[in-house]
Amino acid sequence: MSVETDIPLETEIKTKPVDDIHPLSRKLLFLGDPKVKRNFIWLPLVGMIICIILGIFHPQKHPLPGEQYIPGSWAIYGFVAYSLIVLSASTLFKILGRDEDYYGEGGLPDPDYSTDPMITGEAHHD
Amino acid sequence: MIDQLPILAEINPGFWVILAGLICTLLPVGHARKAFVIAAPIFAGLLIFQLHDVTTPEVLGGVLQFGPVELTTLRIDKLSVVWGYLFCLAGVINGIYALHEKCRITDSSALIYTGAAIAGVLAGDMITLFIMWELTAISSVFLIWKGGDHAYAAGVRYLAIHVLSGVMLLAGAILHAQANGGDFMFNEIGLTSPGGWLMLLAMGIKVGFPGLHMWMQDAYPKASITGTVILASFTTKFAIYALARGFEGEPILIWIGAIMTCFPVFFAVVENDLRRVLSYSLNNQLGFMVCGIGIGGALAMNGVVGQVFVHVIFKGLLFMSIGAVMYRTGTAKASELGGLFRSMPYTAIFCLIGAGSIAAVPLFAAFVTKAMILAAAVEEHHYIAFLMMLFASAGVMEHSGIKVPHFTFFAHDSGRRVKEAPWNMLAAMSIAGFLCFYLAWPFGGYQQLYALMPFELDKPYQPYTWDHVVFQMQLLFAAIFAFTLLKRFKLYPAERRAEILDVDWTYRKMGLNVAKWGSAMWDRLAVNTKRVRTRFISSAGRRLYQTFSPAGAASEATPSGLAAIMTAGLLFVVLLLAYIAK
Repeated sequence: MSVETDIPLETEIKTKPVDDIHPLSRKLLFLGDPKVKRNFIWLPLVGMIICIILGIFHPQKHPLPGEQYIPGSWAIYGFVAYSLIVLSASTLFKILGRDEDYYGEGGLPDPDYSTDPMITGEAHHD
Repeated sequence: MIDQLPILAEINPGFWVILAGLICTLLPVGHARKAFVIAAPIFAGLLIFQLHDVTTPEVLGGVLQFGPVELTTLRIDKLSVVWGYLFCLAGVINGIYALHEKCRITDSSALIYTGAAIAGVLAGDMITLFIMWELTAISSVFLIWKGGDHAYAAGVRYLAIHVLSGVMLLAGAILHAQANGGDFMFNEIGLTSPGGWLMLLAMGIKVGFPGLHMWMQDAYPKASITGTVILASFTTKFAIYALARGFEGEPILIWIGAIMTCFPVFFAVVENDLRRVLSYSLNNQLGFMVCGIGIGGALAMNGVVGQVFVHVIFKGLLFMSIGAVMYRTGTAKASELGGLFRSMPYTAIFCLIGAGSIAAVPLFAAFVTKAMILAAAVEEHHYIAFLMMLFASAGVMEHSGIKVPHFTFFAHDSGRRVKEAPWNMLAAMSIAGFLCFYLAWPFGGYQQLYALMPFELDKPYQPYTWDHVVFQMQLLFAAIFAFTLLKRFKLYPAERRAEILDVDWTYRKMGLNVAKWGSAMWDRLAVNTKRVRTRFISSAGRRLYQTFSPAGAASEATPSGLAAIMTAGLLFVVLLLAYIAK
C-alpha cells in the first residue's frame, strides 16, 4: 500500500541539534506521556455525552424535518461523517497515491535564488 | 487628510499600495522597503476609512472617459469597504510576518499584489476590475517562483490559468456591457446573458470551483514560506467579492458551493504535505462562502462577509504557523514532523487557535460567522446543502482542526529540537490569534464584526444561544471522539510520502502525454511524407519533362507543344467569360 520512493527524505536536510526543550514546553511534557495519550479518549466522550444531554433540554430552534426526534443528532452525524472520511483514506490512497517524483518537477536546489530552507538545505536556527 | 488634498478622493487607495510596490522594486535598502511594506497598507486603510461615508450608499470617484467607455475606478460602499479594510489588515500582518526576509522581489510583488487586490475590490467598473484581476495574477506569480526551481512549472501553470480567467472575465464583461447599453459598471450580473456565464466561469476559476480548483493546491504549497501566507489572503477572497457583487442568489452556486465544501476533505485526509492540506482546507472554506452567496439574502450574505473576514485571519494564522515550522525544520511534510510542541510551544498555541477558529469552536472566530450561512440554508429549506455543509464541518475538524496541529506539534516525537519561530513571525501570529478570539468574543467582540456587515437584518443574529453552542459542541466532540477511537484501534491512516493525484493530472500527465504522442506522430508523419513527397515530386517532374520539354512527347506531335494549346484554350475561356459578363 505504501508508495516506494528513491528520492531522499527531507529529514536529511541538516538540522543543527538544539537539545534543550523550550522552558514553556517543560510544563507541557505530560502531554507526551503514553498514559495521558491513552486516557485522552475520555475527554471527548464525556464532553459529547454532556452535550447530548444538554441538547435534550435545549433543542434546536430551527431543526431539520424529524431532527427533534433524534437526541444527539449532530453528535451522530459528526461521528459518522468523521469516521467515513478517515476510513475512506486507505482506498483513496491506493487509487490516488503515486511516487513523490511522479510529475518529475523536483527541481535542483538553487540557494542563490530561493530563501526556503527546503531549497537551501539549511534550516534556520538563529 | 482628504480635506487638505481633495485629489486623494479621486484615487483608488489600492493604487498607492501598487505605487509603493513599484518603488520597492528600485529600492536597494531592505529596511526602507520593509517600512513601505507595513506603511502602505496602513495608509490605504486610513484613506478608505476617511472616504467611507456611512450616510451615503456609495462613494464614487476617479471617473475616466475612454471614448464611449466610462470607467469608475473607485467605489466604496457597504460591501466593498469590508474587503478594503480586510485586505489592508492582511497586508500589514503579512508584512510583519515577512520582516525577516530580505528580498526585493518578495517585498515589491507582495505590495503590488496587495494593492491590486485592494484596488480590485474598490473598483466601480468591470474594466478596472479586469486590470486588477490580471495584475493580482502577474504580481503574485513571483511569490510562487520564489519557492525555487521546483516551483517554476507550477508558477507557469498558475499564471496561464489566471490570465485565461482574466481574458474570460474581459470577454464576459464586454458581452454583458453590450447587452446593457454599454454600461461597464460592476453591479449585479446574473446569468441571463452569455456574458454572465463567461464571467461566472472566470470567477469560478479564481475561487476554485470543483474541477477548476487545482491551481491552488498545485501552486500554494510550492511558493516560498512567506509567499504562501500572502497568496492565501487575497486571490480567492477577491473572487468571492466579485461573486458576491455579481451573482448573489444564483441557485447554481448553492450546489457548486456545497460540493466545494465536501470534495477537498477527502483529498486533505490522504495528503502528506501540510501546506497542501491547508490549501484543500482553503478550498473547502471557500465552498461555504460560495454556498452562502448562492442562498442569498441578508443573513446568508452577512454570513459570507463575516466568514471572509475571519477566514483571511485564521487561515493566514494556520499557514503562518506551518510556515514557521518549515522555516525552522525545513519541511512541512506530516510524515517528518511531530512532537514540535517541545521546541515551538508558542507556534503550537497559535496553530491550535487557528485550528479552533476554522473548526468553529465556541469563542473562536468561525463560530460566529459560519453559523449564519448554515442558519440561512435551513431557513431557506436547502436541507441537502445544509447536510453537505455539516458533513464538511466534520471534515474541517479532521484536516485543519486535528490533522495539522496533531501531526506537527504532537503525535510521535520526530526528535527535532529547533528554536522557536523568529520574533516577527510570532508577532504576526499574535495579532492574528488575538483577532481570532476578539472577533468571536461574546461581550463586545463579535458585535464589532457584525457592525461591519453590509446587510440590514430584521432581527439581529445571536450566535451565542444554548442550542447553537450545544449542538456545535456535539459535532466537535463527536469528531474528536471518532479520531481518538480510530487511533486507538489503529484505523487512522499513517502519514505517507506520496504525490496525490487530482484534476491537474489531466493536463500535467495525460495532456502532456497526449501532446508528446501528437508531436512524435507528427514527426513520424513528416519523415514518411517527406519520402513519399520527394518520390512523387521527382516522378512528376520527370514525367513533365518527358512530356513538355522541347524534346518531349508533346513537342513531337505539335510543334507548339501542349502548353501553347492549353494557353490558347484558357485565353478562349477568359474571352468567353468577358463576353458573357458584358
